[in-house]
Amino acid sequence: MQITGQLALTVLMGIFLVGVAAWLARVENWRSYTPLASGGGGAHGTGHAEKPSGVIRWLTTVDHKDIGILYGFFGIISFVVGGLMVLGMRIELFDPGATLISESFYNSLLTNHGITMLFLFGTPIIAAFSNYFVPLLIDADDMAFPRINAIAFWLLPPGALLIWAGFLPLGDIVPAQTAWTLYTPLAAGVGNGNQANAGVDLLILGLHLTGVSATMGAINFIATIITERAEEVTWANLDIFSWTILTQSGLILFAFPLLGSALVMLLLDRNLGTTFFAVEGGGPMLWQHLFWFFGHPEVYILVLPPMGLVSYILPRFSGRRLFGFKFVVYSTLAIGVLSFGVWAHHMFTTGMDPRLRASFMAVSLAIAIPSAVKTFNWITTMWNGKLELTTPMLFCIGFVANFIVGGVTGVFNASIPVDLILHDTYYVVGHFHYVIMGAIAFALFAGMYYWFPIYTGRMYQRRLGKWHFWLTMIGTNLTFFSMLILGYAGMPRRYATYLPQFSTLHQLTSVGALILAAGTIIWAYNFATSWIEGPKVQDGDPWNLEETGMHTAEWEWFDRKIETAVTDGGEEESVVADGGGERDDA
Amino acid sequence: MTTRIFDRETILDLTVNFIPLAIILFFVVGYAVVNPFGWDPLASGLQFALLVVPFALLAVLTYLSGKAISQAEDERPVYLPGQATVSGAEPIEERESEGAIEGDAGGES
Repeated sequence: MQITGQLALTVLMGIFLVGVAAWLARVENWRSYTPLASGGGGAHGTGHAEKPSGVIRWLTTVDHKDIGILYGFFGIISFVVGGLMVLGMRIELFDPGATLISESFYNSLLTNHGITMLFLFGTPIIAAFSNYFVPLLIDADDMAFPRINAIAFWLLPPGALLIWAGFLPLGDIVPAQTAWTLYTPLAAGVGNGNQANAGVDLLILGLHLTGVSATMGAINFIATIITERAEEVTWANLDIFSWTILTQSGLILFAFPLLGSALVMLLLDRNLGTTFFAVEGGGPMLWQHLFWFFGHPEVYILVLPPMGLVSYILPRFSGRRLFGFKFVVYSTLAIGVLSFGVWAHHMFTTGMDPRLRASFMAVSLAIAIPSAVKTFNWITTMWNGKLELTTPMLFCIGFVANFIVGGVTGVFNASIPVDLILHDTYYVVGHFHYVIMGAIAFALFAGMYYWFPIYTGRMYQRRLGKWHFWLTMIGTNLTFFSMLILGYAGMPRRYATYLPQFSTLHQLTSVGALILAAGTIIWAYNFATSWIEGPKVQDGDPWNLEETGMHTAEWEWFDRKIETAVTDGGEEESVVADGGGERDDA
Repeated sequence: MTTRIFDRETILDLTVNFIPLAIILFFVVGYAVVNPFGWDPLASGLQFALLVVPFALLAVLTYLSGKAISQAEDERPVYLPGQATVSGAEPIEERESEGAIEGDAGGES
């Protein structure tokens, strides 16, 4: 009976493989395509041979724009997954006890929310923008290594599956409950808990894959920006977004391989009995040092490109160029260097030598300056400008407002005495969420709205865009300001339950999270419907940038693309840009 | 030497990085003068290395990037960022002389 079952399985597998072979044979020879005659590019085709259609196109593409869109979709799926995880947590936290989910499942959600948002949403969605737009902005044909670009993306889906494997029905595998920091000895599987489970190993392997992906992408961007720029695009002419991507790539290049090495050491400790992070060996503190030597630059890996997006987009709707462009460039580079000298400010309470602690405090205070400089540049750019309160502009202004709160609360944390009190409280959670959600996500939304006409050829529904902005702005501030107060009141982070005196603030936080969810649903609906049936953009300047002399290379490319596109017969109504009729001279 | 590579304008732009450098320098001097935790070769060596290394790296990167941008400005026309390859775009100097865009008090002219 058993043999018959195995035989049946073998035959089934054989049929499946034959089916795959037949399907592949039906696919046309990809090498037989001839290049497009029009230099302007077809659907998405500058410098590329025409692509196969359907799924095959997306599986085989090496075009930077296609890969950018793939990164974008991947990032959005991760954003939804990570968002649902935190919604589960926040709904649980409406009530002081563990009523809806168990404490251990709460810990699993907490761990995976952090890792998903940082590694599977943050880094990839930034890569979506950089893949699509950096080659256009510097007038490169494509990335320097298009195939490496594709491989870098395709490492992400298996990485995500490994990270989320604990939630899948896979026998005895449980999700990791280590928090995203994977602190040892818990993450080394030591003790009587269940963190020696293979679910944690799979998560570590998945993290490793995403790190390899990010590193490959970074090498590609460094090579592209340095070697593939058009002759006219000198260092003095390089746009601010490309500058931030270059700096970010440098940070990735030095930070992620270190994370990879530390993860391998952790895997060895877990599975092969090494003692890198064991008390009798290197000690648990070694992990914290290695992790945060990667982890703090990771913060800037995530925030620098969004700063570049805001620096790039905000002047377009202020009617004037960025105030102190080179201040922003140099301060970006300064952040890049100094970000490697502040890692132990995450460890002030670990009992480290006070002399070392003092030095980390000093550099942490110094790194606040370049960030503050940028803030003043953005404010000064808007000062007396002709502001157009379009949706991308609103998100840029929201970015600046939230970044000020997130930044100032961070400076307090850099001070050792203050940190000793606030460490591991909700204050820290409120602080970094103001930066990650209030600033980074806002800038990414600004970018998505600003360039929506380019990657879809259509315009979004502006009323829904405004709803999205205001719900997100209100939700963000309600959620994370409540967290700051909770922290001051002494509420420790990472707990599934809490004392009744924290109820009101926790409920406010959860209401804020639900408002954020409502805004996100509106955004998803807006983008999905507008992408399918929004009004087509008729010229390459939907924001009327030429009027203010702010027209840039990617819009000219878009204009060329529209002009050279073969007509599809259907003529739809032309589009009024989001800014149309909304000029606000305030 | 420096003045030949960097004109007044470039040095003004670079002040943005001089401030964090000055803050680090302040703490180097401060920790040398006020030392409540005593002197230990390893701990104190690390303490100052953690300040000196970022200081040196930031100084070097500021110098190299300032030099690269300054030289690029001398060698080729400077456009608004993102406009260098746009057809019909005018270099910043010409635009300013025509008053084409609103003023920028920042260090980009």
